[in-house]
Order: sequence, then structure tokens, then C-alpha cells
Amino acid sequence: MPRIPAPPLPKALQPRPKRPGQDVEAGAATPVEAGITVVDWLDERTALSPGIRWLMWRKVPRGINWAYTLGSATLFAFLNQAVTGVFLAMYYRPDAAGGAYESIRNINDNVFLGQFVHGMHKWGASVMIILIFLHMGRVFFYGAYKYPRELTWVIGVVLVILTLAMGFTGYLLPFDQRAYWASVVGININAGGPFVGPFLSNFLFGGADFNATTLSRFYAIHMLVIPGAMAALIGAHLYLVTKLGITAPPWLKPGADDTDHALAEAEV
Amino acid sequence: MNQAQKEAYLREYSILKNEGKPFFPYAVAKDGAMACIVMVVIIFLSLLFGAELGPKADPTTTTYVPRPDWYFFFLFEVLRVMRNVPKFTPMATIGVPTICMILLFLLPFYDRSPERRIERRPIALAAGITTIAAMAYLTYSGAHTGSPNSVEIKPPATLSAAQLQVWHAGADVVGESGCLACHVIGENGNNGPGPALTNIANTVPAAQIASTLRNPTPPMPSFKDLPADKFNDLVYFLSTLQ
Amino acid sequence: MTWRKTRSEYTADRDRPGAFEGETITRRRFMSGAATATGALAAAAFTLPALGFAVAPVFAPTSDTWQEVGPVSRFTDSEYLPEVITLEPGLGEAGLAIAYIRLHNLAIDGPIKDRYDRAIAISSRCVHVGCPVRYVAAARSFVCPCHGGVYDFRGVRTGGPPPRPLDRFYTLIRDEQVLVGPRYSVNDELRRFSPRDPGEPLDGIGQFLYPAQPSSPPAPPGAKS
Repeated sequence: MPRIPAPPLPKALQPRPKRPGQDVEAGAATPVEAGITVVDWLDERTALSPGIRWLMWRKVPRGINWAYTLGSATLFAFLNQAVTGVFLAMYYRPDAAGGAYESIRNINDNVFLGQFVHGMHKWGASVMIILIFLHMGRVFFYGAYKYPRELTWVIGVVLVILTLAMGFTGYLLPFDQRAYWASVVGININAGGPFVGPFLSNFLFGGADFNATTLSRFYAIHMLVIPGAMAALIGAHLYLVTKLGITAPPWLKPGADDTDHALAEAEV
Repeated sequence: MNQAQKEAYLREYSILKNEGKPFFPYAVAKDGAMACIVMVVIIFLSLLFGAELGPKADPTTTTYVPRPDWYFFFLFEVLRVMRNVPKFTPMATIGVPTICMILLFLLPFYDRSPERRIERRPIALAAGITTIAAMAYLTYSGAHTGSPNSVEIKPPATLSAAQLQVWHAGADVVGESGCLACHVIGENGNNGPGPALTNIANTVPAAQIASTLRNPTPPMPSFKDLPADKFNDLVYFLSTLQ
Repeated sequence: MTWRKTRSEYTADRDRPGAFEGETITRRRFMSGAATATGALAAAAFTLPALGFAVAPVFAPTSDTWQEVGPVSRFTDSEYLPEVITLEPGLGEAGLAIAYIRLHNLAIDGPIKDRYDRAIAISSRCVHVGCPVRYVAAARSFVCPCHGGVYDFRGVRTGGPPPRPLDRFYTLIRDEQVLVGPRYSVNDELRRFSPRDPGEPLDGIGQFLYPAQPSSPPAPPGAKS
């Protein structure tokens, strides 16, 4: 059965090599040799190691360049948003009557590292949006959305829209002037859709107009509904990426080797 | 793509994949380096700009000029595009973004050619560049839309101190009188329905500016009821716009 | 009869996945239906109430409230006064709004429609996308700072993207006090409609594309359109 290698032990814990003349003991000398390390214990019960091999030691095609890191960079920005967001939620109060604004003021002015973590969340949003569009551009120009990766693309477009929706719902939470008016305008834009538009805007407001539940509605959507959907879709996206493999750069042909090799052949 | 093309692609891809290196640690090392760069940028932005909190939300304001965050500037600008056909406003607010989103969703289903190299996909290349250029242009012009309640151009360098005072007073009258709702001066105001005023003094002398302000062509309202000093400041300011 | 033999009633004969000895097609079908139905029922039991709970405000009618904004003597029929009114009680500053108020002017507004038309109260919410409009006395116009909507003295659009005139509030004059009531929208002929969201035209096909919302407050008794 395939096994992932045991983690390297620090020097102090490694068994010393046998001195010449020392007796060779029967059986396993150390727990490591006996196969009862933590990793082995876990693998015996979960059988995860084939999955990890499938995920981590799969081959990626020749010619992968820096443009291919944009997807994982977007994922990293999402993790940054998730972690900083969870900790901001510990200090935030979704209270439109004044509590929301005061709690953000408190985060900025009084909480240790408050302004820094708040800033990481705020600027992380911008960085994530830039990265997701760059990633989308890479996929578009490399033709990577074509067979067999159509579904990966569709999920990716949903993730772009959800990311913009995160930006939109996150606007309102600090409840300053910019937040309030940008949200009111954004909700009213939804009202312009024929037939369903007015219902959609009333759903977002939680009533006919801005009211006491609008802010908590946005808060719940921003920190529970959309992130949950995004996490699930990112999982599906990554599964498909691993299953179908990362696209090769479109200009590479199999057999034809890298440029310097090809040049050397041409000289001969 | 037909069945033969699909099989050819899969065959070609499996060879390229076998010629490659394992994801861990080769690709992950690159991803990790990129993640470090991303975090450096985020931390740098956070330390440099912080998380500024504006004045508290106030629905009763009559002077605040709402502007979105930079990544919605393109949408903000699309909303201004429809200003001359107001009955089609929902087309701009909902129609255009929805159509773009559907086109983006269905991309792999209408672009079914097996060709992947962008230099051999002229339509995709043109569409991609057009989209990027349009987004960049809309974002840029959205970012450069000044408030219609104030003038942000610089006064001419030749003015004396006394003239400068009148000039600033006139600029304030422009800001508070709603001129910029229909006229553009520099980066402020709306281009239409009225003509741009950025260089108005080149074509219209001061006396004619004053008479137009008193007896304008509709729908422009008359400003003959302004106090005399404000009216003179306004005419002086407009007559310096060259 | 040969047909019956090939269509065996046992799942094992028909290569159903997971078939076992003695399982019939009908039994498999019944159990599949039961599994799907019980699962769906249990999921619906928590999804539907939660969804209804979240969607309910869309259909809950708002009550109409009347509030005093000041004595009639403060207002004129030639100039607007901005007055702060409360749209959402219990929300502090976030529940307030501005109404521009003046008295009915026969020369500008034509004949008085009904008892809710003796004062004109115009909402400061731009009908393009909802930014706060400002009344500019010098130009006798309402100007929106977002996308450049301009409205004349009656609140009718003269420039920019707004698709209809500014919204209004029903008003009453009682005991020498001006009262402001629920909001309503108007079309280009200033005909009254139940309140619509910004961005929704009310002329031509617009009134059918954007129907009245169940959450709108009812028109006060005796109000004419």
C-alpha cells in the first residue's frame, strides 16, 4: 500500500547509528520503525494518504509559469479575508442605530492592532478582486476554459460574482457615509430589473426601505451566506483543477522540447 | 470540438503532463512565493493607508457626494452613460451587466473551437482587449468624476490677490447654484444637457455670459434673482475660463 | 411470455447496482421513493420556514404614519424648506429623511387634487439610484450629485438619467399644522402611483414592468390618483 513518507525527525530524536560490534536487536528498534508514528496512526484509520498523493504529487505539465500562481494567490487572499473577518466579527456590532459605527471606531482606535487587522481586511478585498480578475484573464487568454474544463470556468465565474457581492455587502458594515450611500445605491440598482427587481431590492432591505434589519441582513449575508457558498465552490473548483490537471501553456507541443533544447537541435 | 479533437487534446495533454514535475514542491514553491508577495502588498497597504472611517451615516445629508469603491467605478460610470435616454435607465443598471455576466458564464459553450493559442483566436483576442480597455476606461473616467457641488480647477496664474478673491467667490457660487448639474468645468460636473464651460470665455465675452445668465434658453433656469455681488462674482469667474 | 422473462421482476436479473438476493424491482422503487421523500421532507422542514422568515418582509405591508413638521405659517408657496422627517422609528439618525416642503401653488401645480395636495412634500431621494438630491434655490432646481440628475421646481426631470419625477409624500393640513404621511411616486403627468423604488419608470410600459409592491403603505382614504 502506498504511504507518504514519515516526517523528518529532529536530529536529537533520530536513532544513533549502531556502533561496530554492538548487538543487532531483534524486531523494530524504535516506534518509527514499528510504523506507529502519528501519521501512520492517522493513515491506518482514515486511509487519506492516497488522496494526499493524488493532490500533492500529481504532475503539472511542463512550462508552468508565474501566471499560473494567480489562482492560488486569489485563494490565499480569500483565506486572509476569512481569518481577518472572523476576528473583526469579535468586535463588531451590527446595530444601525449607532452601535455599528461606534464598534468600528472602537476597533480602529482602541483595540490592539485593530486598525491594522481592519486595514488588512479592507485592502485584502481590493487585492483579491484584482487577483481574481487577473486569474480570469490568464484563463481566458490561455484558452484554459475549453474542453474538458468548461465546468471549472462556470464555477469560477460564479466565484467572481460572489467576490463582487462580498465587496458590495461588506461596504455597508462600517456604517459611515460612504458605506450607507453606496449600499443604498447598490440596492436600488437591483430594483431596476423588470418584475423581480423590486422584490429583490425589498428582500435586501428587509422591507420597503432602509430599516433596522437591513444592516444585520447584510452582515449575515456577508459573513455567513456568501462565504459558505464560496468555500463550497472553491472546494469544487479545486477538485476539478486537480482531477482535470492544470492546462499546459497553449504554445507547447508534446515532444518538442524546451526552447534551448530545440535550438540545440536546430544547430545540429 | 468533435470527438476526434477531444481525444487528440487529451492525448497531447497527458504527454505534456508526464513531461512535467510534481505539484509539490515545484508548483507549490512558486505559489508560496506569490502568496508572500500578496501578503506583503496587503500588509503594506494596510500600514500605509489604514482603514479610514468616514463621518457617520446620515440619510438627511444634502451635501454629501456618494462615490463607490474603486472596483465599482465602471458600474458607476455605466449609470451615467444613459443620462440622455432616461426611460432606458434600467437598461444600463441591470441590462448591460446582466448580459455581460451571461456572456461570461456561457463562454466555453459558444467558443467551441479547439484552438487555444491566443494569436490564432482573433475574435477572442479582440473581445478580450476590448473588454479590458472598456473596463479600464470606465474605471478611469469614474475615478475622475468630480463633485457637482464644487469646482476643482486651478485659478489662472495671472490674477492679482484681489482678483483671486473674486475668482474663488465666483467658483463657490457655481458650486452652490447647481451649474455643474448640466455643465462640465474641468473634471467637475456633467457633460450635458448644457454645453461644457471649461473654455467658455474663449468664445463668449463676459457681457454675453451675463445676459445669458439673466435670459437663458430653456430648460436652463434664470439667475437674475441672485444677489448682485454673487452674480458679478459668477460672471467674473466664468469670464476667466479659457 | 418471453417478454416477461427478459423483464424480470428481480433487481439481480436486471443488473441494478447493489442488487441482492430476493429484492424486487417494485421494492427497490418503493424504497428509493421513500428515501428521497423522507429526505426532502426533512430538509424542507427547516429550509422553508427559514426562507419564509427571511423573505416575509418583502410582503409585509408598512403602516402609514403621519407626523407634524411645523405650522402652516412657516411655509410659502414659492420656496421649499427642507424638513427632517422620521421614516423608520427606533433607528436613530439612520431612520431619518429629508422632505422639501412648500404650499400648493395654483400657478405652478394647477388645481388642488384633494385634501392631501394642499402642501407639496418632495422626497430628497433621487429616483435614479437613490442618492440625496439638493434643492438649489438659485436655479429653482433639484440637483443630484451622483450621476447628474436635474429636476425642476415641481420635481420633474429636466436633465440626466432619472426615469421619472421625484417622489412625494401625502400631506395634510390640520389645526394649522402641516402633516407628512406616506410616500408616493408620480409619473411625468404627476399622476399618483403607490411608491416605487428608484430606477423604475412609470410611463408607458414602465408601470406594468414595475408593479406596485405588497410592502407599500396604502394610499390614505379618499386620495385621488
